[in-house]
Amino acid sequence: MNTMTKNFAMSTDTLRRAELYNLLDKLCQELEISDAQCEAAQQSYEAVTAWLAASTHIELQILNMYVHGSTGLGTSVRPIGRDEHDVDLICHVPGFSPRRPPAELKALIGDRLKEHATYAAMLEEKKRCWRLNYAREFHLDISPTVPNPACMNGGELVPDKKAMLWKPTNPNGYRRLFEGRARLMPRLKLQKTIMARDDAQVSIEPFPVQRSRKGILRRAIQLLKRHRDVLFLAIKEDVAPISIIITTLASQAYEYCVNSFEFDTELDVLIATIRMMPHFIEKPVVAGKQIWLVANETTNDENFAERWNTEPERAKAFYRWHTQALADFERFAGLEGVDVLKTELAKSLGARELGVVFGAQTKAISDARLDMKLFVAPTVGLMTAAAPAYATQVRRNTNFGDR
Amino acid sequence: MIMRGSRPALTPAQQFLFLRNNPICAGEGSLTPTGLVWNYKVRPTLLSREYSVRIVFDKRDTPNIFVRDPDLSVLAKGRSLPHVYKKPTRLCLYLPGSGEWLGIMRIDQTFVPWTATWLYYFEEWLESDDWKGGGEHPSENDSASAPRRLRRYNR
Repeated sequence: MNTMTKNFAMSTDTLRRAELYNLLDKLCQELEISDAQCEAAQQSYEAVTAWLAASTHIELQILNMYVHGSTGLGTSVRPIGRDEHDVDLICHVPGFSPRRPPAELKALIGDRLKEHATYAAMLEEKKRCWRLNYAREFHLDISPTVPNPACMNGGELVPDKKAMLWKPTNPNGYRRLFEGRARLMPRLKLQKTIMARDDAQVSIEPFPVQRSRKGILRRAIQLLKRHRDVLFLAIKEDVAPISIIITTLASQAYEYCVNSFEFDTELDVLIATIRMMPHFIEKPVVAGKQIWLVANETTNDENFAERWNTEPERAKAFYRWHTQALADFERFAGLEGVDVLKTELAKSLGARELGVVFGAQTKAISDARLDMKLFVAPTVGLMTAAAPAYATQVRRNTNFGDR
Repeated sequence: MIMRGSRPALTPAQQFLFLRNNPICAGEGSLTPTGLVWNYKVRPTLLSREYSVRIVFDKRDTPNIFVRDPDLSVLAKGRSLPHVYKKPTRLCLYLPGSGEWLGIMRIDQTFVPWTATWLYYFEEWLESDDWKGGGEHPSENDSASAPRRLRRYNR
């Protein structure tokens, strides 16, 4: 009895942190574009591709349309207060010469889209791309690119902010590097404990160890992006850290953490990753002046933090956000009480999705209780599935009481 | 002696042994001349608080469940607690007269899992202000002593 009690005590905090990660994982499933939406988006952009390629314009006849940005990386997060996800597409046109101005290619694509009555009605011009609005589902943002003859890494050129100049980018190379990092698996003590200890069976077996289908890096990025969206909701100026900076720094930090340390739980990997992010911001001195640099590692001359150098409030906003994010996730790890956790998570990550996640948990417990499939196990408490033999069933009861 | 059909009620000593041997209520307690006291800690889920629970059972009454720590009223911030008996505050975990609790049943298989479930819905209620754990309250025109009367009936 004493040994068993001691095992429970040793593992409770670790198990709690692991369980909190499971909860955050479920939250991310609410935040991201659904498989059905993703499929619908794919069908839509394949139709758009076919329409563009059927153009009489010779340059458009060979083109490669592909998803990039967060949907391509698996890090999408629904914008707050909107149903539509942004789906970023690259429309790579190898036949268009980078010596011609980007505005010409953009116009070529826009004109072709306008020839289609349906697309014309959905079309919206953005500075650097064309947007097709599929109401209540998603936007397709179509950015034209051409090959970058100077890049040895298969890079491309996109219109700059004003569509005046071409600037280097490499969505495919970036995605390959990102996916390699996302595949890295951290060494987790909790897993080892479960596998190595027979005597741990009693205390740990009932814990639902669920390996996230997406991996920790993608989840970390989704959580950080949503945290940013919430934090900057009330701030009028356009200074919030852009997603590609969060994604790049988190990937580098994750790779470093996974290669350097061993962790108790996924939550500890998440927090360590957040903590390490600023270390990957470079501050080289260029022409006698220190600049901010978050480089695209897969091509030359793409600095994701370029605007920090002309708008220093952006750098300040990043650091302010980062400090807050680290403090918040560290704090979440120590919270006890479903009520407190729900309230605090909702404040930082969005009430709507937290309501869905906690609501689903309560419903699962209530349904299991009615079906006589609710159990109580040591340490982990209520369980709705796969109860071990030593768990105790929750028999039917009716709460009563004085008024 | 509590009788239902041909089976005799479990004695406090038997209940004590069952409580001591069930890992979901690992704790400590003592037998009294006519009953038992059992103290244990429980977290309804890993993300919940840890609650210190005391079970007081006298063979002439039904088990009483006290939450000693944290203070439920403090957590409720002035709101009236759902599904409790008052003075002193005890959890109301079964409908008297329904047969949900009988003296032949084990406390560790009834009140202990019911307490964990109650505490889960309690934390949910703290945030939502909506009790989702179901149940009944005595109707408005019942006399104030109805619950106690029903509990006596059920012994």
